[in-house]
Amino acid sequence: MWSISALSFAAPWVLGALALLPVLWWLLKLTPPLPKRIPFPPIRLLFKLATREETAAKSPLWLLLLRLALATAVILGAAQPILNAEPAFRASGPLIIVVDDGWAAAANWSSRKALLKALIDRAERAERTVVLVTTAPAAPGAQASPLNLLRPADARSVVEALQPKPWKTDRRAAVGEMTGARGLSVAKAGEVAWLSDGLAEGGLGSLLLDLQHLGPVTVYGDPPERLALALLPPVPDGDALRVSAVRAVAFAPLAVGVRAIADDGKAVGRETIQFAADERQAEVRLKLPTELRNRLARIEIEGQDTAASVVLLDERWRRRPVGLVSGGGALGNQPLLSDLYYLERALEPFTEVRRGRIGELLARELAVLILADPGHIDAAEQRTLDKWLRDGGLILRFAGPKLADNPEDPEAASDGLAPLLPVKIRRGDRVIGGTLSWSRPAQLAPFEEGSPFFGLTVPTDVSIRRQVLAQPSLDLAEKTWARLVDGTPLVTAEKRGKGTLVLVHVTANAQWSSLPLSGLFVEMLQRLTALSQGTVTKSGGPPLEPLESVNGFGRLGSPPAGALAIPAEAFDAAVVKPQHPPGFYGTPAARRALNLSAELRELQPLGALPAGIARDVYGKSTELDLRGWLLGFAFLLVIIDLIVSLAIRGLFSLRRYAAAAGVALLAIVLSTPGWAQSGQPRRGMLERGDAFALGASLETNLAYVVTGNPQIDDISRSGLTGLSTVVRRRTAAELGDPVGINPETDELAFFPLIYWPLAEGTATPSAWAAGRLNTYLRNGGTILFDTRDQSGGPGFASLRAFSRALDIPPLVPVPADHVLTRSFYLLQEFPGRWTGGQVWVERSGDRVNDGVSPIIVGGHDWAAAWAMDDAQRPLFPVVPGGERQRELALRFGINLVMYTLTGNYKSDQVHVPEILKRLQR
Amino acid sequence: MDANRGDLHHKAEELAAALPPLLVAAERVAMTVSQGVHGRRRVGQGETFWQFRRYEPGDSTQRIDWRQSAKSDRVYIRETEWEAAQSVWLWRDASPSMHYQSAAALPSKLGRANLLLLALTVLLVRGGERVAMLGTGVPPSASRAALIRIARGLENGRAAETDDAPSLPGFEPLPRYGRLVLFGDFLSPLDEVRTAVAAFANRGVRGHLIQVFDPAEETLPFAGRVRFDGMEREGEILFGRVETVRERYRGELAAHRSALAEIVRAAGWTGSVHHTDRSPVAALLELYLALSEVWDR
Repeated sequence: MWSISALSFAAPWVLGALALLPVLWWLLKLTPPLPKRIPFPPIRLLFKLATREETAAKSPLWLLLLRLALATAVILGAAQPILNAEPAFRASGPLIIVVDDGWAAAANWSSRKALLKALIDRAERAERTVVLVTTAPAAPGAQASPLNLLRPADARSVVEALQPKPWKTDRRAAVGEMTGARGLSVAKAGEVAWLSDGLAEGGLGSLLLDLQHLGPVTVYGDPPERLALALLPPVPDGDALRVSAVRAVAFAPLAVGVRAIADDGKAVGRETIQFAADERQAEVRLKLPTELRNRLARIEIEGQDTAASVVLLDERWRRRPVGLVSGGGALGNQPLLSDLYYLERALEPFTEVRRGRIGELLARELAVLILADPGHIDAAEQRTLDKWLRDGGLILRFAGPKLADNPEDPEAASDGLAPLLPVKIRRGDRVIGGTLSWSRPAQLAPFEEGSPFFGLTVPTDVSIRRQVLAQPSLDLAEKTWARLVDGTPLVTAEKRGKGTLVLVHVTANAQWSSLPLSGLFVEMLQRLTALSQGTVTKSGGPPLEPLESVNGFGRLGSPPAGALAIPAEAFDAAVVKPQHPPGFYGTPAARRALNLSAELRELQPLGALPAGIARDVYGKSTELDLRGWLLGFAFLLVIIDLIVSLAIRGLFSLRRYAAAAGVALLAIVLSTPGWAQSGQPRRGMLERGDAFALGASLETNLAYVVTGNPQIDDISRSGLTGLSTVVRRRTAAELGDPVGINPETDELAFFPLIYWPLAEGTATPSAWAAGRLNTYLRNGGTILFDTRDQSGGPGFASLRAFSRALDIPPLVPVPADHVLTRSFYLLQEFPGRWTGGQVWVERSGDRVNDGVSPIIVGGHDWAAAWAMDDAQRPLFPVVPGGERQRELALRFGINLVMYTLTGNYKSDQVHVPEILKRLQR
Repeated sequence: MDANRGDLHHKAEELAAALPPLLVAAERVAMTVSQGVHGRRRVGQGETFWQFRRYEPGDSTQRIDWRQSAKSDRVYIRETEWEAAQSVWLWRDASPSMHYQSAAALPSKLGRANLLLLALTVLLVRGGERVAMLGTGVPPSASRAALIRIARGLENGRAAETDDAPSLPGFEPLPRYGRLVLFGDFLSPLDEVRTAVAAFANRGVRGHLIQVFDPAEETLPFAGRVRFDGMEREGEILFGRVETVRERYRGELAAHRSALAEIVRAAGWTGSVHHTDRSPVAALLELYLALSEVWDR
């Protein structure tokens, strides 16, 4: 090492090569550049010009200087110059580096790593061996780095692989191993450098004394503003979360940004924690809308990348999960009549709604269980419910026909269990304002003080038409939370054990009252949910497998190989250690969070050090190795020299290459998609589905199913075209052109009527298409199946196959008074191309779809009878024949279209005389 | 019969194969020019209809066009356009210096000379003139076979790459009033050029000189340190900085060219300069008009 002020050279002998520079100067000056050769025909003319030949047979001066600078840069670079080199080591012997690689080291990891590398570089220059000791326990499964002397090059590769661990350090174990009996073989070692994380976890004083036996010790620490912070798990506080952070040293006021991240990685909230100058702990209230709060997955400190700056949140911090149980199911295919529809819509924004059977729901944590007229609950379930209720659950029960029919469960009563009702219920329901009653539907009375609903405004448009009645008893009044204006209870409740049982005396759907349609319903549910005590945690169950783990930098990832499951009972007491890294445990559906910061209630700084120990901070060293810069500069000069020499010899025309580069640049610009395609209309963006939907929804269109047989499809299309024309001409319905559809791919919802011609071998729709067709039928669509064979032929066989796939209701021949017979024309038969067969519709009385039959089946080949050419002339003869039959076929078509468009409107016409009479009165 | 047909087929194949690409290119160039040029535009011997004229006493009754005369009361005579065949000898410089091309995109001087020569041949043959290559000894002919022969000769000459081809045409006793068209760069010493031209001019042969030049030869666009090689063993010369002599080179070239023009003028010939980066059509048109003028005079 040889130094001039701040500049030192690691290999100064190389500088001797600088003496060769004058020789180089001389050589370069002598050698002229090589001329280029050009054959040239008019050389005789050139001969005449050669009279005064001035040969510029030497390199220009600037080129000479360029090459000398190149040589100088190479020589200086080879001498390994270092700016601001660190002084040499104090002691001889190996360099012992002790690195804290626990969670707190991640805060300033890059400067730690830089210092590590710098120390190893210095050891390499001083030709020392290195001992590298890490103080955090190694990850399970990972090879603990053996404690021995390393060459600096090997140490460097170990350092490259070094990562901070997401758990605490164990300095005593690490140093004890080194200084203990089985420690370093070199008793009187060299110099000790301790790269600390600045925190005093696990004590230091005696360890440093042990280390001092090995040699002079330098402890590196962070300045106070760069020490790691810890974010403590938040505490629910009403509708907000109290988030607090701790720091080791109260040095000055500090503002720390805290970010709340949702499941999908989006930041949903941000707050700032303000530390006063003398505070080591500070907190902030993080208030989020309940929808967002339920989606929270973690909270983290901005700009800190440590395992303790992240808090993972599990269900303990979520809003209350609510379980829904319905006794219904028969009506499940009509959403608006479902028991749970309004409950789900009301609860989903602020709770986590789960549906299922009682046993399934109670197997997980649950805050509120809502029973919407569940009907019979068997004894085992009732026992479970009862236990859960007494442990602190909240059961909200809605009345309904089943409860009204059977208020006392005899089986449960015989088992000695109290019925799941807060009050005794009378058998039968009370109808207020029905057809046989003079009274009007009842209104809600304002809520009394003491009721949990107190303070909610009662809208005037909520009316109760039916309810179940409580049997009068002494404590009925105090059990009543809401009542009607006439004083009958609407909501009753009872405390049982630690839990509450609430009964709403109407149904959860709009059948008995308009309560579920009102905003009051949502507010009442919010109050009730807030009343619950949070999840009742169930201990026991299978061990919780590690699901996702936080690494040393506070990022979630897959768990390391050695992470072990935690028994469910022990989870609450579990601490973070190498076998149990912080992170999520359990199953994706029910995960629990293990947070490192839960153990860090307080952070202690490093404190005073024993005498004789040097103290230093990270990032002070400004040592700069100039070798790379110089060699890079030399390389740049080589490239310039190459270009210049080529240019001098004329082999490389700067101007031409500049032009080529310009052309290339232009080509790149032009070929960028934005430029090339900017002129193109974005029609391709409109997908086929959208185009189809637009075409089908701007007009009312009839549809036919494309069978794949071109002949049949032609008949279907021209038949429906003819029918649409006639309907347009004779009625107020303006139908567009018919659409051919494929139930496998096309959206069916746009079409009031689908004509489906069947033939032998018509393929049965796939399960997926059948599902779509069933949805279509359920939501009010109508399909006309035409077997085209006057009934009984092969078409019927395929219809039979269809009926297995589709949800076809029981069919009857069209009754004489069916709406189909009078929806436009009065008809008694429905001829098509053929006549005489039966036409089948859904049995009336199943009042689904307003009484409109979703399925109409016949074999009269109607499309052929309706089919017309462009000149409105029929395409096919009708059998047995006559214009009358064709006219009747068209009339059937019109009736059918009217039937599908207007529903049972015409069936109400039986009341016309009555209505007229009323109007006259 | 079959053998005859086979023979015919064979000949046709041979004929088609013989049509060299150069000839195709030349025909294309010639086509462009011929559309802009018309015939002799005077009454004379020929086959093309020129005009009807009133019959005058002394005219041959054989020349009366009966069909035309029957249309009216007068008697008409059909006159044809004068078509007199000339003999033209062609020559182009095939020496190594003609192989020069300064850029890959440009044709070599020889290539351009060949194209021009053959296109001129096409035009001449189409006009009924008789054509021959100088130095081959073949008598002039106006047949298409002659055209193909010349085209082949040019192709073969190009393939042979003769290093010792002369830079100037050797003398050959041509008939009086024959026409001679010479293509070349005419960079030889002026005395040699003068001798060669005078030899023909003294026989009363009139001619036209087309100096085919590469643009680089015109402008000397090189820079830096360059060693120039002669292409016909003239030697070599080194310039430290070519750009300094560029102006003087142009002066030398202009002097050479004016001396050449003086030689041509003295012989009563005409001359023109063509650059390989220009369109051959323009040169051909100019050349053709020059030849027509010679005839019209």
